This record gives sequence, structure tokens and C-alpha cells, in this order.
Amino acid sequence: MGEIWDSFYQTFIFEDRYLYFLEGIKFTLIIAFFSILLGLILGVFISIVRDFHKQTGKWFLLSKICDIYVYVIRGTPTLLQLMILYYVIFKTSTLSPIIVGILTFGINSGAYVAEIFRAGYDGIDKGQREASKTLGLNYLKTMRYIIFPQALAKIFPALGNEIITLVKETSIAGYVGIVELIKAADIISSRTYDYFFPLIIAAIVYLLLTFILSKVMKYGERKLNHVVSG
Amino acid sequence: MLYQVKKLVKKFGNTSVLKNINLEIEENEKIVIIGPSGSGKSTLLRCLNLLEKPTSGSIYYHGHRLDDKLYKSIQGKIGMVFQNYQLFDNLTVIDNLTLAPVLNKLMSKEEAISKARRYLRQIHLEDKENSYPMDLSGGQKQRVAIIRSLMMNPEVILFDEPTSALDPEMIGEVLSLILEVSREKITMIVVTHELNFAQEFATRVIFMDHGKIIEEGDKEQMFKHPRTNRLQQFLSNIQ
Ligand SMILES: Nc1ncnc2c1ncn2[C@@H]1O[C@H](COP(=O)(O)OP(=O)(O)OP(=O)(O)O)[C@@H](O)[C@H]1O
Ligand SMILES: [Mg+2]
Repeated sequence: MGEIWDSFYQTFIFEDRYLYFLEGIKFTLIIAFFSILLGLILGVFISIVRDFHKQTGKWFLLSKICDIYVYVIRGTPTLLQLMILYYVIFKTSTLSPIIVGILTFGINSGAYVAEIFRAGYDGIDKGQREASKTLGLNYLKTMRYIIFPQALAKIFPALGNEIITLVKETSIAGYVGIVELIKAADIISSRTYDYFFPLIIAAIVYLLLTFILSKVMKYGERKLNHVVSG
Repeated sequence: MLYQVKKLVKKFGNTSVLKNINLEIEENEKIVIIGPSGSGKSTLLRCLNLLEKPTSGSIYYHGHRLDDKLYKSIQGKIGMVFQNYQLFDNLTVIDNLTLAPVLNKLMSKEEAISKARRYLRQIHLEDKENSYPMDLSGGQKQRVAIIRSLMMNPEVILFDEPTSALDPEMIGEVLSLILEVSREKITMIVVTHELNFAQEFATRVIFMDHGKIIEEGDKEQMFKHPRTNRLQQFLSNIQ
């Protein structure tokens, strides 16, 4: 008992070390939140550019650029992308590492989100677009009122997976010196030579986070359910 | 003249699906197109509203060449009713009906809703206005699809086998709605295998086979005194 208490004391209380964890949790949440947001915005935008090209033949160049972006991002490890952004692209800039982290994970997620939405659009009976066209609705209106809502309902579970994957992936941000949760745990353990509590706490926080996210996604899924006609 | 189709050819890859179609359609005609499976009936219909791009030849609409630009400018005046309904799955019945006329600024939201309700009463589905398509029967879906096209005040409606996905007991309700609509001053072109319906509905019948119009005429001549072997054969096969 005394030993466990001692370990707990060393990990959290001595020198106010719990503050590291709170900092870590804060940065993990900030990075996760904003990169999810950025990923969704980028992903939806890219998926629509590519779909617009597919449907109308217009915007060839922009659509090709999007293809290349998706291909490159999906074909290289996230850690490598993070290091390239941090050590090469923003090497001389004064951008805070947090921002670089958000950019990396957002840009990374955008490619996956774009693919998920593409599968969503492609899964919708092309008759829905044809019906919309015969009613005089153009591409954007058809997308906004018919295709996108139906696709969103269908891909919601896949989107949830991507978001949870992304949240967990932010744990590599420590590599470029961002003190997010894992890095905080690492710093403490390297002082106490005791990995038990720091890692357990990190695990619990991640589990809690992903649990809450999956509940939120489940709720959204139920709300959208009437759309999926089976 | 509403439509003038000249030397229309449509190929998918190397196969010619429509081979030199010439056709003139006056306003307010009620046309039935018959023909065996794969003869190009759907493709012809789909060329008439640019769902398919003709490979060569031309289509004139009110004397103007029907291209993307013209199609855009007539906004929904060429309605279509599909074999599998194609109601918008994510929208309620009332939203299915009002979305396009409101977005196209044909009428205000309020006008659209009251017009939609009038139509819903006409087809006895006034209590379904907030239902989603998945909660309707096939016959109900198709009747809603028909009034959805009417909401746009169309000049012409193209029907591609509107009853062939339906259970037999629902075919009647859809055909009688089409007959009701045919009293309006709307040009209607219907691909169907329902000959009894055609007898009652058509002012002109067109028989297609292998991508060509083989024979056309009024229903009396087409059904009672077919001139070509192929039409005689076709009629005896489906009766
Ligand atoms: N998008 C397409 N790509 C390739 N071939 C096609 C396409 N659409 C139709 N076809 C072919 O064109 C021919 C004519 O098809 P179409 O659907 O117009 O016939 P149809 O008379 O409507 O037949 P059905 O009575 O079965 O509906 C068929 O051989 C069909 O396989
Ligand atoms: Mg057909």
C-alpha cells in the first residue's frame, strides 16, 4: 500500500506534477478539436471539388491537385508529415508547435475525410441526381439539399472512426516537442522512473475521450437515421 | 412544334443504341412508346431531356437547339417520372414537392406548400405530407413523384415505365393518375407495356426495335391494323 501511495505521490503531487497532466490534456484536446474541424472542412471541400469534376467534367486541374493531395497524404506516415511540416516547411517560422500540430493532423485527416465522403456520394443511386436535374436544380443545389445529406447519413459511422483515429494519432505530437498528454506522461515518468501511473492516466483519458466521442457520434447517427432508407 | 428530333444517333462505346431517329412532337400530344427490351426506348426518352448526350444529330425544343444552355434556361419544364420513383429519400413528401419550385423561384414557399397540399388531396395522400418516402408504398411513391413533376408547371412530362416496378394491385392507381393528368394541356410521352392504358391514353403510338422507330401512328392503326411484321409479332407476344 505504502509503495503505491508513494508512486502516486511522486507522479502527481510532488512539485505539483499534476499540472503537467492538465497541460497535456489541454493541448491534446485543443489539437484534437481544431484538427477535426480543419479535417472536416478540408475533406468536405476536396470531396466536392472532385465530385463536381466527376459529374460535370469541369475543374480538371483543381480536381487533379486534390487527387494528388489525397494520394500523398494517404501514402505516407502521419509522423513523417508532422516532421516535414515542423522541421522543413515551418522550420524558420515562428508558428507555435501547437499550430503546426493542428495543421498536420487537420491536413492529414482531410484526405481521409475526403475519401469517406467520396464513397458516400458514389453510394447514392445516380437516379437521385437525375431526378434533381430534371427538376431544374443545378450541381450545388443538388449537392446541398439531396446528395450531401444522404451521404452524410450513410457515412456517419465511418466518419466517427476517422475522428477517433485522429484523436489517438495526435499522441505523436510529442515528437516535435508539444507537451500533449503522452509527452506529459513521458516527462513525469522519466523523472520518477515509474511508468505505471502516468501511462494508466494517459490511457484512461484517451478512453474517456473516445468514449464520449463515440457516444456523440451514435447520437448523431440516430438523428440522421430516417435518411438511410436501408 | 414542341420537339423536332433530327437524325438522332446515340452510341454507348461502339454499340449504336439509337440509329437515326427522326421524330416530331406537337404540343399537347399524348404519346406512348412501345417496343421490346433493349430497343432504346429509355435512351430516346433520356435524350429528350439531356440525361444522355446525343452522339450525333439534333433535338429542337420549340425550334431551338436543345443544349445545356437552353436546358438550364427552361428550368424543369421537361419533367420526368422514373421507373423507380426517385423521390428524395432524405426529404419528407411535402419537401420533395416544394424543394425545386421554391429553389427555382417559381413560387414562394407558402404558395408551393398550398399547391402541394392541393395535389396531395387530389391523390388522397394529404395525411402523408410529413412522411418520408421509405414509409410509402410503391404506388404512393410514384403518385407523389408524378405530382412532384407537376409542381414545376411542366410543358412536357416523360414517363419511363412508370408502373413496371409496382406490385400489380398498385398499377391501377398510378395509371389512373396519369390519365387524370392527361386532361391537362401538357405534352406527355410514356414508355409502357400496359396496352389497355395505351388504348385509353394515347393520341399517337410509336413502336421501336433495335434503336429505330419501326412504325408509328394512331392507336387504332397501331393496335388493330399493324403494318409491319415486327409490330404484329411484338403485339402477339405481349398479349
Ligand atoms: N449507360 C449505358 N451504357 C451502355 N449501354 C447502355 C447504357 N444504357 C443503355 N444501354 C444499352 O442500350 C440498349 C438500349 O437500352 P434502353 O434502356 O434504351 O432500352 P429500353 O428499350 O428502355 O429497354 P427496357 O424495356 O429493358 O427498359 C440496351 O442494349 C442497353 O444495354
Ligand atoms: Mg427502359
